[in-house]
Amino acid sequence: MSNVTVFCFLASYLVAFGLEIARWVRQVSINRMVMLAAAAAGMVAHTIYLLNRSGQTGMPPLLSSTHDWMLVLAWLVVGSYLFLTAVNRKLPLGVFLLPVVIFLIVMAYFVSDGPNLSVGPKAAIEQAHSGWVMLHATLLVFGITGVVVGFVLSVMYLYQHRRLKHHQAMVNDLALPSLERLARLNRAAVIISVPLLTLGMLFGVFIGLLSRKGPNPISFADPIVISNAIVWLVMLVFFVWLLATKRPVGKQVAWTTIWACGFLLVTIISLQVLTGGLEAIQTWH
Amino acid sequence: MNLQVIYCNHHSAALAVRERLAFSSDDLLRAAYDRLRIDFPDSEIVVLSTCNRVELYAAHESPDEAPTHQQIAKFFADFHQIPLDDFVDDLLEQTGPDAVRHLFEVTSSVDSMVLGEPQIVSQVKEAYDVALKNDACGPLTNALFQGALRVSARVRTETKLSEGRVSIASVAVGEFGKSIFDRFDDKSVLIIGAGEMAEETLRYLKEEGVRDIIVVNRSPKRAEELAAEWGGRTEPFDKLDECLVAADVIVSTTGADRPIIDVPRFQQVLEKREGRAVFVLDLGAPRDFEPAVGEIDDSVFLYDIDSLEQTCERNRGKRVKEIERAQRLIEDETTKFMHDVYHQATGPVVKRLREEWHDIRRQEVERLTKKLSHLDAEDIREIEQSIERIVNKLLHPPLKTLKEEAKEGTPHGLIDALKRLFHLSD
Repeated sequence: MSNVTVFCFLASYLVAFGLEIARWVRQVSINRMVMLAAAAAGMVAHTIYLLNRSGQTGMPPLLSSTHDWMLVLAWLVVGSYLFLTAVNRKLPLGVFLLPVVIFLIVMAYFVSDGPNLSVGPKAAIEQAHSGWVMLHATLLVFGITGVVVGFVLSVMYLYQHRRLKHHQAMVNDLALPSLERLARLNRAAVIISVPLLTLGMLFGVFIGLLSRKGPNPISFADPIVISNAIVWLVMLVFFVWLLATKRPVGKQVAWTTIWACGFLLVTIISLQVLTGGLEAIQTWH
Repeated sequence: MNLQVIYCNHHSAALAVRERLAFSSDDLLRAAYDRLRIDFPDSEIVVLSTCNRVELYAAHESPDEAPTHQQIAKFFADFHQIPLDDFVDDLLEQTGPDAVRHLFEVTSSVDSMVLGEPQIVSQVKEAYDVALKNDACGPLTNALFQGALRVSARVRTETKLSEGRVSIASVAVGEFGKSIFDRFDDKSVLIIGAGEMAEETLRYLKEEGVRDIIVVNRSPKRAEELAAEWGGRTEPFDKLDECLVAADVIVSTTGADRPIIDVPRFQQVLEKREGRAVFVLDLGAPRDFEPAVGEIDDSVFLYDIDSLEQTCERNRGKRVKEIERAQRLIEDETTKFMHDVYHQATGPVVKRLREEWHDIRRQEVERLTKKLSHLDAEDIREIEQSIERIVNKLLHPPLKTLKEEAKEGTPHGLIDALKRLFHLSD
């Protein structure tokens, strides 16, 4: 069990992704079963890895490091993929969702697996208000999962829209949700994720204020804190626009979601990579 | 036991003939069964009547009881009051395994006009239920129709014959419409023109739950008929633009010789639609919508016959590849079915013959053991086994012949001969 590495589940997800692509070329019933088995095996390895990490650091994965935090995010996305694909055999969700999972896992390679500064210094976490830190991290991870879901739904929407405009039928008995449903789910993903991110941000500020009384205060001038605040603001503007627009046009919403969510994901992940940098590569197993 | 089917379908007869021979209402079908019971009292009968076929299946214990082709044709002529010459050449007949294979092909939709279409299964099931209600079925037709429904399920699960839609209307609604809208019960459907294609499309839309239907046609009478049939309402032709603004789905099938909706006209409509998606099915030939209408806005999804026909063709091609697999499966099931039928027919004779001969064997062994009291148990057992082997060897040739004959059909002659030669009682 302790030999489980990131490569184990990354390889499983790559196999599942390859099989998802193969479904578009030729539908063989065994293909889907192997694909699900590969993804499920990957998720088991993924879970074991996170548990091992948690055991090593003595903290929940959400708090132990940015590396673990990103892997938890990928784990949540894989869980959603497995559930939805098992329930709906015609839905080629993996083509859209697994690249995000693979991207997150690969990016986790480049971020620090040391104590997570974005949720507070280790000392702060170990202090009495560690519950607030956990809440902050949990809200952020669920908020960003919503952002990932919104992003993927928008990509699906644009693909479906293009297909319908070009009069192309779906191949091999596969089916994507209707534009109407995709637009509705997309809207729901944004509407759910922005309040979660907002609450996460508020708890972050609260923790920052609490830390001022301790020996390791969090600086609000930290580039990560500032950039997180900016992307949150962008999402908030998008959220308000979505609620204020009486009848938003689906394709416009999809593009805006892609830009807003993409901006959020790229900003957060690239900042972590830039600050985590080489140190992570040296310590990562 | 004998089976036969006398039928006309879309391969053999024109729609005009099929319409005249059809049993279009429950009352008509009930009357037909009453009449058939009088004309052919010893036959089990099931009538299958759809828009593409009229088929009469009959089964009987002995070949002498089977109605002839002419008798059935006369029944159709008398019942529908049609001259025999108007349809007799269109009426086909299959018997024995061919009749079984035919029903299996019909129920599996291998014989359908739209290959793999699902409605035929429920139509066959309904025909069988009606026959049951009219006390027209018997053991053979029960086995036949239950077998047909089972075979149909096998064909549908083990082949891809039913996959992919193949009619323009079904492709339009199923492959494209359902990819645009999640549900149709809250959508407004506008029908421009009242042609056959509009009606077929409405059928699929109704199946998806459409409730709000507006028909606009130059001829108000036809519009009212169509609206009444599908539970819709009509609007005058000069209110077309208002209807275009309100509709979510537009089906156009006018006979106009040039497009009735051009880009400037639809642009004005779009300005009032507030970006709502609109699914336009232009099923007119020539087209009713200028093709450029589909490019005005992202919310307009315009499909014409050509764009839909490509998908239909591709789906048809895929289904044709599956026919061979379906037919192999049907052949296998037909052989099994006939084997079971013949086994049931010859089974009682074989059983009685075996019982009588082995009774004689037992009596003779008993007599011998009483006479030869000096024999020990081992000797008696040897004698018993020896006589049993003789009896089995003597029985083998006639039973083998009976089994082989049964592969070609119920061997009535041979069964009669065995009964008479060996005094086998019924």
